[in-house]
Amino acid sequence: MTIVTGKTEARRRLQPGGSGLLRKIWEHRADYAYVLPAIAVMLVVIAYPIYYTIELSFFSTPPGLQLRDKTFIGFDNYTAILTSGVFWKVTWNTLIWTVGSTGISFVLGFAAALALHRDFFGRGVLRAILIIPWVISAVAASYIWKWIYHSDFGIIGAVLVGLGWADRPPNFIDSVSTVLPSLIVVNIWREFPFAMIMMMAGLQTVPDQLLRAAKVDGANAWQRFWHVTFPHLRNVSTVTILLLAVANFNSFIIPWIMTGGGPSNASHIWITHIYELAFGRQRWGVASAYSVLLFIILMTFGYFYVRALSGNDRRDGSA
Amino acid sequence: MSTIAGTAPRGQARRRIRFDGWRWGGRIFLVFMLLYTALPMIWMLLTSIKSGFAAMQFPPQWWPDQPTLASYQKLLDPQNSVGQDFLRFFWNSLFVSTATTILSVIVAVPAAYAFSRFTFPGRNFLFFTVLLRNMFPAVIFLVPLFILMRAIGLVNTHGSLVLTYLTFGLPLAIWLLKGFYDNIPVQLEQAARIDGATRFQAFILIVMPLSTPGIIATAIYSFIGAWNEYIYAYTFLSKNEQLTLPVGIQRFFSENTTDFPGLMAASFIMSVPVVVLFLVLQRYFVRALTEGAVKH
Repeated sequence: MTIVTGKTEARRRLQPGGSGLLRKIWEHRADYAYVLPAIAVMLVVIAYPIYYTIELSFFSTPPGLQLRDKTFIGFDNYTAILTSGVFWKVTWNTLIWTVGSTGISFVLGFAAALALHRDFFGRGVLRAILIIPWVISAVAASYIWKWIYHSDFGIIGAVLVGLGWADRPPNFIDSVSTVLPSLIVVNIWREFPFAMIMMMAGLQTVPDQLLRAAKVDGANAWQRFWHVTFPHLRNVSTVTILLLAVANFNSFIIPWIMTGGGPSNASHIWITHIYELAFGRQRWGVASAYSVLLFIILMTFGYFYVRALSGNDRRDGSA
Repeated sequence: MSTIAGTAPRGQARRRIRFDGWRWGGRIFLVFMLLYTALPMIWMLLTSIKSGFAAMQFPPQWWPDQPTLASYQKLLDPQNSVGQDFLRFFWNSLFVSTATTILSVIVAVPAAYAFSRFTFPGRNFLFFTVLLRNMFPAVIFLVPLFILMRAIGLVNTHGSLVLTYLTFGLPLAIWLLKGFYDNIPVQLEQAARIDGATRFQAFILIVMPLSTPGIIATAIYSFIGAWNEYIYAYTFLSKNEQLTLPVGIQRFFSENTTDFPGLMAASFIMSVPVVVLFLVLQRYFVRALTEGAVKH
């Protein structure tokens, strides 16, 4: 019943003798009953699909889902991907999309959290309003913004024309040069509240005494933020940025509903591209190979994610 | 910083004299964020009460000159075919999301408790494996899961969605709840055990009530995730009467792309349940993140 940190756990597992481990597992059999449902669901819905995707990535597949008629072709799917021009285009888009969305969402969310940290009249209401975009569905958000960007009746275009800044409403999402930034604006609209909630939660853990001590020592507001608040929030920030980065890297709905990856692939990111390869063009083998590459990239993300989280845990155990 | 009351007279006097740039910067920034957040939603509402003709004007009518609830009436009227479909999508979403929420809590609570309290072999490995689920996009699993669901006969049933949605919510749910249980003193359970309770009874009677905010937060998170999910519902379901709202409204308006008032009304109705749920219970959610996800 005691809480043991990962270190002791590891040391125990390193003890020689397989029968010892088996005996230990047997002794703890009642504990596994608690996690078994979670693990079972995970196995069916994650482990099997991963195995199947890896297998499929080495095969040439017929259209339709008659996947029994597949033929083994080794690494051909992978070389086909890496030598195609679309691959690099889509990778570049994904990079801009992920870094842009994550960076700006985090900065806006963090700033909003700081501004909301001090109590003032109407703070609760304001906070609730700022969170709403995160709660509503991405499908609804996509339609709302599609209407706002509409090239004939969109409100932003109308304002620009009304102010005399444009002769006619710009084609925000129908033009190669503006589509990606336009979609990023929508994505940030939906994502910054998450960063805001996380950082607000983090800010509550910054000890007040430290800030007051810094004030007594003559630190100004910026110095207090930079030397006291920010270092204290390093862990929360890391976790928030990683969660945002992964969510953005994996986002599908906004680009898919707003543009379907167009015009001329300008807003295709990896996820929408894979979806189109699989369900649009029925190239299951190539799509699977893409998924495996994606998987490798995400495992790299995952390594840092787990490290950031277990950093949290270790500090907790020693405290 | 937050102790305005404590430093009252002198502090306030000084504040009145000196211009506080940080505070004013913060206020201006909040106004900007409020506009960025709220204007699209206000524009959705204003469009939804226009007629189709009034929406298609340039320059747009900022305020509808003849506001009408026709779009809402059409969607919510069980007498016509549009209303029948829409209400069915709504109930489908409600059913799938509620089932997912209940199952998520049932699965996540004991798992999080075990990860927090017990020291069975493989505990850390299993915990981080569960967390890794957050990493993977839905698209990777789409083809194999479709084939799997077809093999076990779940394609075109809501069961396929509930089973898949379970795995989205679980990682964060388990993580949040584990943080909660970590902060509940073990001594409370030990006292209960001394009084004769079994380990399971101590868990149900002592620990569960204390973690109510965490459980509510978990439930909200699962519900919102399931309510808003699109890609699996889009792939797994083909019959019109089974669709959930996000897919349903897309089918609705893909033929008739000019009915923006109807589309905005549908988007609004789709947003109402989750926004209300969240606003009513948000303090639990924020508290759960404070106590669960963000360690002191």
